[in-house]
Amino acid sequence: MTGDDDGRSTTTGPDGDRSAERAATIGRLAAELRTRLDADQVIDDRARLRTYECDGLAAYRVVPALVVLPHTAQECALVVRSCVAAGVPFVARGSGTGLSGGALPHPDGVLVVTSRLREIREVAPADERAVVEPGVINLAVSRAAHPHGYYYAPDPSSQQICSIGGNVAENSGGAHCLKYGFTTNHVLGLQVVTPDGELVRLGGAAPDSPGYDLVGAFVGSEGTLGIATEVTVRLVRLPESVRTLLAAFPTTDAAGAATSAIIAAGVVPAAVEMMDALAIEAAEAAVRCGYPAGAGAVLIVELDGPAVEVEAQFAEVVTLCRTHRAFEVRIAADEAQRALFWKGRKSAFAAVGRLSPDYIVQDGVIPRTALPEVLRRIGELAAERGIRVANVFHAGDGNLHPLVLFDETIDGQTDRAEELSGAILDLCVAYGGSITGEHGVGMDKATYLPRMFTDDDLDTMQLLRCAFDPRSLANPGKIFPTPRLCGEVPGRRKGPHPLQEAGLAEVF
Amino acid sequence: MPRSGRSGLIPTRGHPAPPPDQGEPGTEQAASPPDQGEPDAEPPAPPDRGEPAFDGHRPPPAEVVADCVHCGFCLPSCPTYLLWGEEMDSPRGRIHLIKQGLEGEPLSETMVGHFDRCLGCMACVTACPSGVRYDTLIERTRQQVERRHVRSPRERALRAAIFALFPYPRRLRLLRGPLWAYQASGLRNLVDRTGLLRRLAPTLATLESLAPRLTRAPRPPRRVPAYGPRRAAVGMLTGCVQSAFFPGVNSATARVLAAEGCEVVINPERQGCCGALSLHNGREEEARRFARDLIDAFAAERLDYFVVNAAGCGSALKEYGDLLADDPAYAERAAAFAARVRDLSELLVELGPVATRHPLPVSVAYHDACHLGHAQGIRSQPRELLRAIPELELREIADPELCCGSAGVWNVLNPEPAARLGERKARDVLATGASLLVTANPGCLMQIAAALPRAADASGPRSTSPRGDRGMALAHTAQVLDASIRRLPVTRLLD
Amino acid sequence: MSDVPGSVDLLATIEDAGLVRPAGPVDVVGGVPARFVAEPATTEQVATVLAAAARHGLTVVARGSGSKLDWGHPPTALDLIVDTRRLAGVVEHAAGDLIVVVRAGTPLAELRQLLAPAGQQLALDDPLPGATVGGVVSTNTSGPRRMGYGTVRDLLIGVTLVRADGVVAHAGGKVVKNVAGYDLGKLVTGAYGTLGLVTECAFRLHPVPAAQAYVRCRVPLAGAGGADLVGRLVATVRAAQLVPDALEVDAPVDGPIELVVLIGGTTAGVAGRAEAARRLLAGAAGPGPTGADLEVLVDAGSPPPWWSRYPWLPGDTGLKLTGVLSAVPDLLGAARTVADRHDVPIRVRGSAGTGVLYAGLPANAEPDRVAGVVEELRGAAGTAGGHAVVLTAPDRVRDRVDLWGPVEGLELMRRVKDRFDPEARLAPGRFVGGI
Repeated sequence: MTGDDDGRSTTTGPDGDRSAERAATIGRLAAELRTRLDADQVIDDRARLRTYECDGLAAYRVVPALVVLPHTAQECALVVRSCVAAGVPFVARGSGTGLSGGALPHPDGVLVVTSRLREIREVAPADERAVVEPGVINLAVSRAAHPHGYYYAPDPSSQQICSIGGNVAENSGGAHCLKYGFTTNHVLGLQVVTPDGELVRLGGAAPDSPGYDLVGAFVGSEGTLGIATEVTVRLVRLPESVRTLLAAFPTTDAAGAATSAIIAAGVVPAAVEMMDALAIEAAEAAVRCGYPAGAGAVLIVELDGPAVEVEAQFAEVVTLCRTHRAFEVRIAADEAQRALFWKGRKSAFAAVGRLSPDYIVQDGVIPRTALPEVLRRIGELAAERGIRVANVFHAGDGNLHPLVLFDETIDGQTDRAEELSGAILDLCVAYGGSITGEHGVGMDKATYLPRMFTDDDLDTMQLLRCAFDPRSLANPGKIFPTPRLCGEVPGRRKGPHPLQEAGLAEVF
Repeated sequence: MPRSGRSGLIPTRGHPAPPPDQGEPGTEQAASPPDQGEPDAEPPAPPDRGEPAFDGHRPPPAEVVADCVHCGFCLPSCPTYLLWGEEMDSPRGRIHLIKQGLEGEPLSETMVGHFDRCLGCMACVTACPSGVRYDTLIERTRQQVERRHVRSPRERALRAAIFALFPYPRRLRLLRGPLWAYQASGLRNLVDRTGLLRRLAPTLATLESLAPRLTRAPRPPRRVPAYGPRRAAVGMLTGCVQSAFFPGVNSATARVLAAEGCEVVINPERQGCCGALSLHNGREEEARRFARDLIDAFAAERLDYFVVNAAGCGSALKEYGDLLADDPAYAERAAAFAARVRDLSELLVELGPVATRHPLPVSVAYHDACHLGHAQGIRSQPRELLRAIPELELREIADPELCCGSAGVWNVLNPEPAARLGERKARDVLATGASLLVTANPGCLMQIAAALPRAADASGPRSTSPRGDRGMALAHTAQVLDASIRRLPVTRLLD
Repeated sequence: MSDVPGSVDLLATIEDAGLVRPAGPVDVVGGVPARFVAEPATTEQVATVLAAAARHGLTVVARGSGSKLDWGHPPTALDLIVDTRRLAGVVEHAAGDLIVVVRAGTPLAELRQLLAPAGQQLALDDPLPGATVGGVVSTNTSGPRRMGYGTVRDLLIGVTLVRADGVVAHAGGKVVKNVAGYDLGKLVTGAYGTLGLVTECAFRLHPVPAAQAYVRCRVPLAGAGGADLVGRLVATVRAAQLVPDALEVDAPVDGPIELVVLIGGTTAGVAGRAEAARRLLAGAAGPGPTGADLEVLVDAGSPPPWWSRYPWLPGDTGLKLTGVLSAVPDLLGAARTVADRHDVPIRVRGSAGTGVLYAGLPANAEPDRVAGVVEELRGAAGTAGGHAVVLTAPDRVRDRVDLWGPVEGLELMRRVKDRFDPEARLAPGRFVGGI
């Protein structure tokens, strides 16, 4: 599913004239932007452009026609307006850590990089709010809030580098979203550049702004509804008590049963994370986290909140782990030990690189109660194909991250790995789950979206896109498998839309 | 599917290389953010079109490049990414550029610019969860750049001046004190013409402001006997900048080692530069020459360890085995030599203390030199040694993984961004409220010392430091240990 | 458009006769009588009805229990009411996964009873008794526990809706964690039925806490002094580690302000936290004018009578006032000042812990004065970073005030509406900016 052409590549079909014309358009656009921006904000050198050819999902690569690094929201709007005037698509990118190719550039488009929009404008603990620019790193928000006794709750594994703007686009989750929710539950207000190039404020510092919840619609729209240029986020009080345990189980079945028992007991843990034996092996190799030897699975369970509540529930969780065959339960004695428990988990994706030359990080969701069954099925599917799968996941909310290991130098393994990876998604859908819990659809899973949604569902979603972006210039080709036009477009357009011309789109 | 791991799995899509009329390679330097000094009088050398960036002699290993899964965890630790927020000025971006080179792209002016801007601080190596050896990549890449890339005449002259000056303690010493000594020297022509002196001026001014501890020290003795029973025989590197500007650090190092039962072999007249600066700047042959000389200088001694008190030198010495691996005459000796190399703090913790520590009532902010922390993984040892001193209070500096901007001669080649990094570090240092800054590298010491007054000014009148315009007292770990062991008053460190 | 001749016959002949009937005297929305009423029982039947309405160009308003039909503007036209009360019941309750899928016409109270045996709850309050799931979603109502559990947007994980053209669409799913596709659930939440008709909702559930306690604190000061003290108390509670599920304030027209903290959790935990809250509140008045500790009661059993009820009666004017947390005392103070200035009694109540308050003005208040109050409160809310929205009002007041006030992003909202309902047949004119 990665090598197929998406219909936009210039290597197929279009004749040299069109290619030259597009290059000329980009040339004019670059020249125009250079008159309004500093020279170093507009990049068209090929070696430099190529460093932007992929985000955190390196399997997809497209060299952008131009990269622009705005310093302000106004500059960002200026870039988008220039793109609109030139009929050039644009793609927003933050830190480039996305795992679905959501920030994959467009070959004829501008990549708008927000990494220089990185000011924390305001930290208002009395209002439990912070106002930040999109390029601000997720962890930096928490660090700015800590002295006041607050933090920013969504904590994706890449929180040390992923940007808030990217989090907004992807509706990022994290290990603690079981209790605290996702980005969408923590963003109250946005300033966005619409795909028309207008700067618009949506929502605000106070809850329940009147009108449609466009903040809710925008968060998680993967850059297809515009570019966030300012984000007002909720800050959460640092908990009085955090207690973390690491429980080792003989099998993933036992760990899954323990998870279900914890949830059934009415406990809402801050996090429940599971790793299987292969994932543990990788983490040990990478960061020497010292997990119990011989474990078929480990659970990290974290409770936080008022000390009296945590005390009461933690004892129950320990008991439940033991009754579900945990052969070792370690309780973090201090922050350093807690950090070590988490270090293994948080490094797991990249660490798998030490076990296998190539791997696919899958992201799917199943109802939590189906966990043991789905894990068994994944194991069978993997065995049938002679492929190893390491499992790392947010067990509390059923979000699986199977890591499909392969070696591309071994004949046929790449194909088998990709096929297995897709089969795992089918499994998730069959059990009533989702094809993505937090990585997003992006470029990677656009063709899988119809397995979850009907054509009517997707058409309805595209009504929203068409309202924001009638010209299909904002991150086109992402999320939706079939490019569609939006019918009448406000304003003028010269000539037929390239997609229409190519006969690839049906008019919506 | 989200896939990482070995790169090159899927062919790159998008446009083929742009036609010549679009490339505009000549304008690339102007578009780069950092001030690279005065505009070159001559146009930059034409890109070597067609010829791949790297030749077969020690190219950056493709398998190391393939270890990078593009996760971006290195970005926040990279000083140039913090400065400019650009992919190609991040470790991930540089690895991508190296990959382009391995795939056959030419070694363009642009590429070289981004390689040159790497400080070589290796914070990314620490940050990388996949264990990518970026240190190997950038070192090999720099060697290729130095051999294969033709720099502008101005750049060439500046670099020549730097490498005619820094690896030579005697020449460095001429920069200190009265100007006549320098003017009388043969350095003048070389240094003046390149503008190097102007670039060095702020650093030299800083050095003069540190004057009390810069008084001319006598040449160190050839040998210092162990105090009490001899526990080990150790060689000791005096270094270039260390011996020229901070001779007191070397004396303190020798005294501390002796107090801890080491017989210290110095052989000052025989040792020269260790080659670290050359190695870290891609001057492979020069580095190999220095390395052979140093090995020879101690060839006759039976040493248990070879101690270094400058972080950058220490990390280079530990690489001697690799550096001379293809030299049949030296390969084995180099590896054996490298195996005995220890940073001072590393050895002291390994041996365990015997000398009594006396109280030093002082609050200390400890700065991890990159080549100690990131390159050698030595973070706990200096802290352990400092904490063992009664009444000394150790404070941590925020963002300890971030480079102060010194980075060998990087601050001489890139004065403006280096100053910004220095100020950032100095602000974090001041925020600790400590009265003494301790670090284990002369470059860091000078860089932060120069930045402290600027940071103190910038942070307003409320945060005036006890040291007035100098901001804060500075010392090497060895000097603090020396003061404690010798029961010196704490004022000796603070004045 | 709605005056297509023979619509009744067309509907009767083309559609299942059982779904549509002529409207009766009670089938009125905001004073506008409907011509027909449809009572579908399934999503497919809703689709059939709306497809027919689309063919005939009929304007449509959805109705659940009817508890909020007087909210918003009256529709500019009304042919068909789609009554959802037959569209009721739980489709799926996966207790182990803590989710429920429920049809839109199900009353919240009924759902509560259905979930209780499993020790679970949909943590949404219903300030207007009888409210259905669909109504709560479409108007985005919330109550005290929004502080601890969030609102509809935080709990709704999947939605089925029928578009104006009769097409059935789904978004989200049945798992809590899911980022596949656009989150249309958020778009239809609080949209007053202007984008589509919600037929099914999937919600995440929470365990019912083993114990809870209401810690009630009476603030003896009136006027600005009282508001300031409330501000201090609210800040004290938020800064402490109590993690309340609700922090409510009730400021009657005259008499002392009451502040109530709801604490839920384990039996042992709640006892300790409630006592901690009691001590904190009692001591938080500090060396104020009263000097003495505040009177604080811990009630483990039942909430105060005003709990989770709007501070107005049917026919009154009801406002929603929002602001940032630190501005809650300003909003309380402003309400008191404005009430005095316009000589209109105002009762204020709401979530001091989230910055969402409600104000009630009596039905018989002079419309000019109400208009003056709305204008000034809107100014105060704007200063507080929020909004003042008139949720409901008598006709003569509606004629005098702008119900919604300023709305950010209105142009984009119109564009969204134009795409979903290009003929503007769904709840026309009910929403912001005449949408």
